[in-house]
Amino acid sequence: MNARRAIEAVERAGCVLSLLVAWEAIARSGLVSPLLMPRLSKIGSAFWAAVENGDIVYHGSFSLERAMIGFLLAVIIGVPLGAIMARLPLFEAVFEPLFSFSYPVPKIALYPILIFIFGLGSGSKIVLVFLECLYPITINSYFGIRGVPTSLLRAAQNMGASGPGLFWKVAVPAAAPDIFAGIRIALPLAFIVVILAEMIGESVGLGYYISYESASFDFAGSLAGIVAVAIMGFTLDRVLVLLRFHLIFWERFERPDR
Amino acid sequence: MTGFDGIGALIRRHGGRATKPSAGRARKFRYRWVSVAFWAGLVMLWEVAARSGAMPSYVVAPSIIAITVVQLAADGELWTHVSASLIRVTVGLAIGVTSGTLIGLLAGINRPVERYFDSLISLTYPVPKIAILPLLMAWLGIGDASKIAIIVMAVFYPTFINAYYGAKGVRQSHLRAAQNMGASPRRIFWRVIFPSALPQILTGMRIAIALSFVVLFAAEMIGANAGLGYLITYAENNLRFDMMYASLVTIAIIGLVADRGLRAVRARLLVGREGIAATP
Repeated sequence: MNARRAIEAVERAGCVLSLLVAWEAIARSGLVSPLLMPRLSKIGSAFWAAVENGDIVYHGSFSLERAMIGFLLAVIIGVPLGAIMARLPLFEAVFEPLFSFSYPVPKIALYPILIFIFGLGSGSKIVLVFLECLYPITINSYFGIRGVPTSLLRAAQNMGASGPGLFWKVAVPAAAPDIFAGIRIALPLAFIVVILAEMIGESVGLGYYISYESASFDFAGSLAGIVAVAIMGFTLDRVLVLLRFHLIFWERFERPDR
Repeated sequence: MTGFDGIGALIRRHGGRATKPSAGRARKFRYRWVSVAFWAGLVMLWEVAARSGAMPSYVVAPSIIAITVVQLAADGELWTHVSASLIRVTVGLAIGVTSGTLIGLLAGINRPVERYFDSLISLTYPVPKIAILPLLMAWLGIGDASKIAIIVMAVFYPTFINAYYGAKGVRQSHLRAAQNMGASPRRIFWRVIFPSALPQILTGMRIAIALSFVVLFAAEMIGANAGLGYLITYAENNLRFDMMYASLVTIAIIGLVADRGLRAVRARLLVGREGIAATP
């Protein structure tokens, strides 16, 4: 049984394993300069060195803070905005065209203008993250609240619910899976946008760290930054899955331990 | 299969909602004039504010932006950047979407392939792929190759996952029927599995197109010598705010046209299948 499990685990890890083996093989073969493609052990030691001297934590905390503030702002504003659009036809008429027209437009193009308005520091990055996250969150909340079955609302009204009670206790929980779907799209976006913005213009943050190390030809250090980004992205996603599992306990389709 | 479950449910739910017929079309019309008046008023206010000179120089009047777009287009400068960006995005999308879709479909019907790619998808799907961009630029230079490579990497994941779930959702009865009538595996793949996964594949393509633009313009802003992203940073460095907005408007138009174009293609390809499209 255990042997079978082990074989299956190796099989499942196949793609990542073969990529790592290919990397190591190319790095050792000498076909590519070891500077450009350092061996895995070198990346590992560069990563530990960057963790030990505090670089990863220092830059990582900036990136994380910006991503989280922008993302949380988008949740705080986007969910009510979507809900209001779904409930008030006037609001829907005014804002729905804005969202449907500007949805496919890459918001990153606004970044240079945001720099002029909010400065080169965290402000412009937080606003950019906010804008990029606002769309999936608002649109999903809008469709979610609009899609709440009328029968649910009527049943609650018959039992005497009205106003805020109807909204918070019936409509929001019924739309919660949709709202969460938007949040799950937005969180990785927040992270992507922060890293990109930090690569374009910044002096702190993981995006800056990666491009700085790469520009100073320390590719092992650059790859150490990439490893840090990967770990953060993966962890954030798992946290989100765990949150969903406990918050929306009535519609579970995934176990958090997997 | 582990790892994919949450993402799949997310796509199913999302796809189901996105194609839902809008219930409030009538009430939307009633307020349309309010909407038009609101946005027209806002643009006018912007125009007046920008022309009054009281606003900072980065607030450019809409009329001046429009004139700059026309000027840049007339002297041909805009086209060199537009074509540079479009070539990169087209090649990147072609490679990324084709490989993502084919491998995704294969993983959906073939167990060993599914197992093989499990680790890659479940480990690296939530990781921002653009982190590797500086490295790609060091390896491949700041020309087309590094941009195409990063687009391929970014676009592979959404197309793979959508095609995978599309292939997983093929009805057993359809497969059995085709097998009973003696169809070869190849014929089953192209005539049964591919068409039935098509709505999901197109959903993946829509995400891929939006993502490819984000990645491309960001990459061009970081390092390039042509392209719309480059034009924005060039204008920024020369404090040409009118030019900055003009390239922004061009990017917006390209994004919008690509998205609406795909929606039109989707509507034509899936004629009479919207019901299926809504419940993949």
